[in-house]
Amino acid sequence: MMKSYAKTILAKPWRWLLPVLSFFVVLGLTRLDAPLYHQPIVQVTAVHTGKAQKQVDNFDNHDVTHRQQVQAKFLNTARRGQVITLSNMYSGSGALDTPLRRGDQVFVERQAGRYQLKDEKRDGAVLGLLAATICLMALVMKKRVWLTFGSILANVVLLLVTLHVETTSNQKLAYVLFSLMAVLFTVVTTVFIAGIKRQAAVIAVATLGATALALALGYGLFAATGYRDLHIEAVAYVTQVPQLLFFVQIMIGSLGAVLDESNDIAVAVMQLPAGFKQRFQAGMAIGRNVMGPLIAVLFMIFMADTFTESILWLRNDNAISQTFIWVMGLGFAQALISAFGIVLAVPLTSLLAAWPKKVQA
Amino acid sequence: MNTFEALLLALLVLMVAVGGKQGFSNFLAVMINFLLMMLAVILMAGGFNAIGVAAVLGLVVLATTIFLSTRDGDVAQTAFVASLLVMLGMLLVIGIGVRYAHVAGFGTEDSEALEGYNLLIGVSFPHILIATALFSTLGAIAEAAVAVAAGMKTLGAAASEAGLTQMAAEIIGTALNTLFFGFFRGFAGLFLWFTQLRYPFWQVLNNQIFARELIEVLFSMIAVTLTVPFTMWIVQRRQGGRS
Repeated sequence: MMKSYAKTILAKPWRWLLPVLSFFVVLGLTRLDAPLYHQPIVQVTAVHTGKAQKQVDNFDNHDVTHRQQVQAKFLNTARRGQVITLSNMYSGSGALDTPLRRGDQVFVERQAGRYQLKDEKRDGAVLGLLAATICLMALVMKKRVWLTFGSILANVVLLLVTLHVETTSNQKLAYVLFSLMAVLFTVVTTVFIAGIKRQAAVIAVATLGATALALALGYGLFAATGYRDLHIEAVAYVTQVPQLLFFVQIMIGSLGAVLDESNDIAVAVMQLPAGFKQRFQAGMAIGRNVMGPLIAVLFMIFMADTFTESILWLRNDNAISQTFIWVMGLGFAQALISAFGIVLAVPLTSLLAAWPKKVQA
Repeated sequence: MNTFEALLLALLVLMVAVGGKQGFSNFLAVMINFLLMMLAVILMAGGFNAIGVAAVLGLVVLATTIFLSTRDGDVAQTAFVASLLVMLGMLLVIGIGVRYAHVAGFGTEDSEALEGYNLLIGVSFPHILIATALFSTLGAIAEAAVAVAAGMKTLGAAASEAGLTQMAAEIIGTALNTLFFGFFRGFAGLFLWFTQLRYPFWQVLNNQIFARELIEVLFSMIAVTLTVPFTMWIVQRRQGGRS
């Protein structure tokens, strides 16, 4: 037996280098893709970094700034091959800036007759990591990886279509539209996981039911406490109504975890031949085991998301309580409502999955 | 009672009602993780090296999540060892990714939120990003490690290579929707912004915030995918050592 585990993992050890290789190959390829862009891109050929300037602010934060003189060569547009000089300022902390190194590729922009640094080119790291991830998953999951990525891709398309419809239509219906999107997300994903079977219906109904109950409970508590200390207006990247965005975020955020959990429970329970009671109890036992870690997954993601801004707030002399309420609070509330969904899905899925099958006509 | 307290109380009631004693210890894990995250923010803002803080507190987060949500001591120990090693490996992966991606700090879409703030705060934003990315993977690592360790115990000697591959695929599949939709939540506002302001595809792909969010999802997916075979390997090593 020992050998069979070892075989699965240690056979052909060189193949574990494939993800690393694919990262660097894709990274290398994107360094050649500048001609595909219409925006001028330059590659840094030489950098001269000036002395550090000490900076102290009125909260006694100590930082340094450097000015760089950068020589760079155009990689695309009609100026391809021409060399220009740019200047770049960067700080020790790097909130909005980054030091340039030889070989970096950046977007530039013409302003008042001079080219200036606009933004970094990031497609290499993004696509390289994507390639490495797919490669690694294919090594571990084998054929199943296509099904997984198919379902993810279908959901991305669904999201893009919804956003397009939402931004071009009557916004009064936005809540209905996004709820519809959640239903479609669930149906598409469960069909990918389970196929068109009774099992898929159980998972979908349980997921949607638990999420809806969690949202109702969450909003009920918001209303009961008068939204005390919950500042929905602080949601980031708002182009419309913050309340809508907050609602959409909770719904999408919890959907995946609830779905995965319902799937785990339903698959196990529906294989059991025993009667309703045993099946129900088996489902509850599985659910109790997975709910804790699943809540932790979302909790960590939602809270870590607020680190950068929280630290900025604290260093700008805001109190911990203020920082929590205004920066971390929304993620915290969303994590807790998702947790409601994850907990409620346990009895709901167990019940639906254990329900005796009707005799088929 | 403010809204957060009401939500916490409701979660406690639900978890105890559904999970009994185990539900209570799961709730305890949530509270401890919450305090650890607050501590992490305070320490990083206080000038401690963010990567060091993440590594040390990350270890405690893993221990809390694994030991408080698993009743089987053997499974918990294996899962803990495996997830610790995966966490160290992820530190390396995240470090490389962050170096190439230039996505630390804030993007142009953040400028409204930054108004009135001094940004030269003397804390390294790339380090904070590494800490953030590491913390976001921990829950997923712990979940997968526990699932594999428990699954291997159930399969026991009956495990065939095909069976193991199937289990690996199922466990990764289970984690993926959680991760994907969990991060999709962050994309919601951003995508509405991009659609409304009609960003072309190339601009989205190179956008600082989009790139950062996507890279964080990919880190988590890599973490889960690495955890599965790695935990299998640890189980095998531990069994080998005992017999």
